[in-house]
Amino acid sequence: MLSVRGQTVVESSFAILQNVGLTAIDEGVIRDESHTPASEQMVRKRALLAALSTDRVSASGARYRSDRLIVKFRDEAAMGDRKAALRVASSTGEFGTRASYADFDIVRLDASEDPEMVAQALQGRPEVQYAQAAYRVHATAPFVPNDPEYATLQWNMPLVNMEKAWEIQPLAGSTITVAVIDTGMAYQNATITATIPAFRDGAGTRYPALGKVTIPYSGAPQLVGAGNAGRIVAPYDVISAGVNPPLDFEGHGTHVSGTIGQLTNDKVGPAGVAFNVKLMPVKVLASTWDVLFGGASSEGGSDDDVARGIRYAADNGAKILNMSLGSSGPSNCGTNPNQVDCAPVIEAAMRYAVGKGCFIVVSAGNEFEDTVPPYGTNPTSVLAEIASRISGVVSVAAVDRAKAHAYYSSAGPYVELSAPGGSERGFGRDGFVWQQTFDYNFTDTFLLPPAQYRAPRFDVLATIGYIGTSMAAPHVSGIAAMLMQQGITDPAAIEDILEKTAVDLGTPGRDNTFGFGLVDARAALRGLGLAK
Amino acid sequence: MKTTVLLVIGLALAAPVWAQDPPPLSIRPFAMATGQSFAATQTFNATFGKALFPFFGGGVQVVVHDTFFVEISASRFRQTGQRAYLNLGKVFQLGIPLTATVTPVEVTGGYRFRFEKFPAVRPYVAAGFGSYGYTETSSFAEPGDDVSTRHAGFVLNGGAEFRVHRWVGIAGDVQYSHVSGILGTAGVSQQAGESDLGGIAARVKVVVGR
Repeated sequence: MLSVRGQTVVESSFAILQNVGLTAIDEGVIRDESHTPASEQMVRKRALLAALSTDRVSASGARYRSDRLIVKFRDEAAMGDRKAALRVASSTGEFGTRASYADFDIVRLDASEDPEMVAQALQGRPEVQYAQAAYRVHATAPFVPNDPEYATLQWNMPLVNMEKAWEIQPLAGSTITVAVIDTGMAYQNATITATIPAFRDGAGTRYPALGKVTIPYSGAPQLVGAGNAGRIVAPYDVISAGVNPPLDFEGHGTHVSGTIGQLTNDKVGPAGVAFNVKLMPVKVLASTWDVLFGGASSEGGSDDDVARGIRYAADNGAKILNMSLGSSGPSNCGTNPNQVDCAPVIEAAMRYAVGKGCFIVVSAGNEFEDTVPPYGTNPTSVLAEIASRISGVVSVAAVDRAKAHAYYSSAGPYVELSAPGGSERGFGRDGFVWQQTFDYNFTDTFLLPPAQYRAPRFDVLATIGYIGTSMAAPHVSGIAAMLMQQGITDPAAIEDILEKTAVDLGTPGRDNTFGFGLVDARAALRGLGLAK
Repeated sequence: MKTTVLLVIGLALAAPVWAQDPPPLSIRPFAMATGQSFAATQTFNATFGKALFPFFGGGVQVVVHDTFFVEISASRFRQTGQRAYLNLGKVFQLGIPLTATVTPVEVTGGYRFRFEKFPAVRPYVAAGFGSYGYTETSSFAEPGDDVSTRHAGFVLNGGAEFRVHRWVGIAGDVQYSHVSGILGTAGVSQQAGESDLGGIAARVKVVVGR
């Protein structure tokens, strides 16, 4: 399939027949722990992704794309000067056609050159505002729990006072569009044809080629049920530059979307926060199947993809941007953005979006117990750190169902708010955050032994439990959408309100674990009287 | 009817009040209308769209030897607006009804001046204290959300009374009041950094009695 959008020509290696397919099979609740961070499935999945990747790895351990570099030249720099600067820094660098939704350039590099080194060479030049490698970002919480009943499973909604908030704002964000910048969304039925090659997993086990296969795909009935056809707004796949629809082949984006706006009060499955919002799927994170289908070079996304996704959402009517994704890096990108692992391109895009009236929610990261050289244990989440420096962008940490710090939730001076992210420690499956997404038994077939390996199907959905700050962020996005519907249109004001009405947890006042505290939907939506 | 006619004739034939000897002690009820500009301007603007509101009430004055007086008054302000947020000077109203009621009870003592050339005009100054009741009720309130409290404050005022009839005077004055302890610790008033429920008021009183 060959298609053109803007000035970018992208060839897709697989085909998607949109709106051709059967409706989903809803299996109800699947109660297991396969999507918790340390589960065998997740460990194997990460190993497989590493085996498939063509990325380079920096001294800090960060992955970045080997074929490109992100450069933002100063506006006053002439094209001749830009080319001269590039020639000095790189022997193979070539300007690509500027991608859509980008105010920066992508420089194509030969594999023999290290994008980090070229970026360093460019950073000192007067023509250059910033230059960086295209670091990989990833979903911050591929940790899944499961169910259909609000009363029995969704402890997270009462924890943020949602029931009383729905009384105040029964429209639940019906006029607001929330962009879910993530792995895509199961928002429509489709039939996919792809040629799946052989591969070796992280342990070196060979999986056979499946050849050309036809794969069923269904929209999640709890996101796009009958009677709400207009709910999906301007879906866009940044990775394929709009060639493919932003279908979710991982489940993360669909789960996150469910927390924001899953259909509610319909006697089916769990509830969503702002259950009437319009949803804009913006796919910036590739999954294993995106790689095996040939639609992406590696799992996750890169800084340029995320930056373009943010700009796309802002330019196409989204007012709330949910970013349940992140990467680790130094803590001082604010004062020194031109260093390894910083993401000035994403910061610029966030500032652009806030300038257009968008409120952005970023997950704070799941690395509290992880050690990431050279940043140590509990490294700074680069995107959350950016969020803390922009009024109108908020970083969200996670609490468990007892309102305690969730063991994985990154902590630092950049944490601004907390919301339910769930935890299995002390609660088992009852501590998960549950929404409808794919039954991974039908999608993650690459985790099966080679003899059982088969093509995936994306038409079997269930209520699955996840854990992570990825799950915390969409609570805040949904509440922000409801606030915006209340008439609070200023992103900085929304952040101020959410922080001032939060329930203080931990050390009195703002702290590095909970930020200003647990978001309180009722308090935020009810506003203030004169004296109280 | 006959009584009314006799009363009107009696009043018409009576000598001007300033031409009469004042009683040593006079008890004079009055009705009062007040226009108050609240000191908490941003707070009231955010909630009600303006900060100038009427109070209605009344009271009684006790005048001793036509010069010293003690006055006790009670009035009431009640207004419905919206719950709101104030952020960097911008107001965001939420469409959630809020009703505030202020009920001042004020006691002042003062002095009435006399000018021989203008005996019908009696300037006065007074100072005192008040007890200010405040209630705030809103939709979607839970126990403990609404406010009902009373705090003390002080007042200063000055104006003049115009005797229009032996038994009737009209007084106009300007009153400054300061009331702390109600605003400023939470709500929009805290966002605005305003803690005074008082303000500047223009008051008109119709006084009955000599």
